[in-house]
Amino acid sequence: MLEHLRLRRRIALLAADVLDGREREDALAHVERCARCQGELAELRVLVDALEQDPLRAAEPDVPLAVMVARVEREVARALLTPERRPRWWLVALPAACALLAVAVLVPTLVERARRPPQAARAAIPPSEASPLVAEDALRRIERNLARENAARYLSEAGELLVAVAAKGPDCDRSDGRLDVGEAPERSRELLERRRLVLEPAGEAVAGARGVLDDVEMALRDVAELPSCVKRRDVDRLRESVERRQLLMRIRLMTRELEG
Amino acid sequence: MQPSRVEPADRELMARLAAGEREALAPLMERHYRRVYRVALSYLRQREDALDVVQETFVKAFQNAARWDGSAEAGPWLARIAVNLSIDRWRRNKRRLQTFAPMPEDDHAEVLAAAGDGADRSLQGREAQERVRAALAVLPERQRAIVVLRHYQELSLEEIASALGMSLGTVKSSLHRALHRMRAGLQAEARP
Repeated sequence: MLEHLRLRRRIALLAADVLDGREREDALAHVERCARCQGELAELRVLVDALEQDPLRAAEPDVPLAVMVARVEREVARALLTPERRPRWWLVALPAACALLAVAVLVPTLVERARRPPQAARAAIPPSEASPLVAEDALRRIERNLARENAARYLSEAGELLVAVAAKGPDCDRSDGRLDVGEAPERSRELLERRRLVLEPAGEAVAGARGVLDDVEMALRDVAELPSCVKRRDVDRLRESVERRQLLMRIRLMTRELEG
Repeated sequence: MQPSRVEPADRELMARLAAGEREALAPLMERHYRRVYRVALSYLRQREDALDVVQETFVKAFQNAARWDGSAEAGPWLARIAVNLSIDRWRRNKRRLQTFAPMPEDDHAEVLAAAGDGADRSLQGREAQERVRAALAVLPERQRAIVVLRHYQELSLEEIASALGMSLGTVKSSLHRALHRMRAGLQAEARP
């Protein structure tokens, strides 16, 4: 019986064709003697065949390779511009060294200045005639791309926030069936402020996203007005509103469009 | 599947990536784009999500090329990144679906249609595939990854163990459980 239990465990592996040598022989010999195991092996083989005939195994990506390469290169370039924030030894050592240097340079200077009588103000230095380093249209392009990236990031963060609120946090008042939405109201207010300060001046660059941005703003305003301990039905109402407007899907599509 | 030999070109491309040479991305992607896409698509069953995972996989490959163990193959290494990213995305999607009503399904049927040219396209066959898909969907994320890597990518158990950071014994017992769970799911569905 113990032998049966031990070998029966191998039937799935036999069907998956991952046994070889002695293990395979033992398992096959057992199956020959065990009618129940034969039925099981036959069923598992049908399943494995179905998996291995799944058309997705041969699916072709419908985005051309060149387009995908361009997307990856863009992301890599972006990642290189904004490296991961990892604690590195020099991140600690460099500020410390700067501080020491500042103390070494500034302290004697300040001491010296304190000893001397005040001098006449220096003559104003005429502003240098700066020549533009970047062409105006290139600057406009950079600004436009930045605005669109900001909008994409804003939408993505707003989407995450809406999901987090609707995910219904822990109860904060069981007797009244209230839920804890944590810092979501405060975070909504921050996002709304960011929209006002960063996205509103972006104008034409994000004109196509205006509809989604407005709907997101409405949802964020609802969240911003919530207390941190909120009635369950208020969360349900918010979730229904997001669903009705298909807001998450629209956020996702618009984020992709803005990211180009 | 017999593991194919590491082509020197793969090694060379990985070395160039490790040195920060972005030009090495295109030839590496040309070789592995399909495979990575199929890993992600088999796991996620969503075209858009799978394409996002492909993109993230190659970005990560560029960022972590210096950590690639030259003695291993680049293909399974990329599959490992792809499957781990797919698991992350699966978790996020699951959380969203638990919270919100499902978003409109991706063009799964179109993917099937595009992929299935010349294959058995009978209604019965399609129904069987749908049942398999449903059975796969109920597996825990690691078991699902093991089934995908084994039966869609034909990786050996050792390669799967290495890809998922598991012991060989755990991979074996997980595959056993996964197949039995799927079989039970199919039987339950087949009952009137």
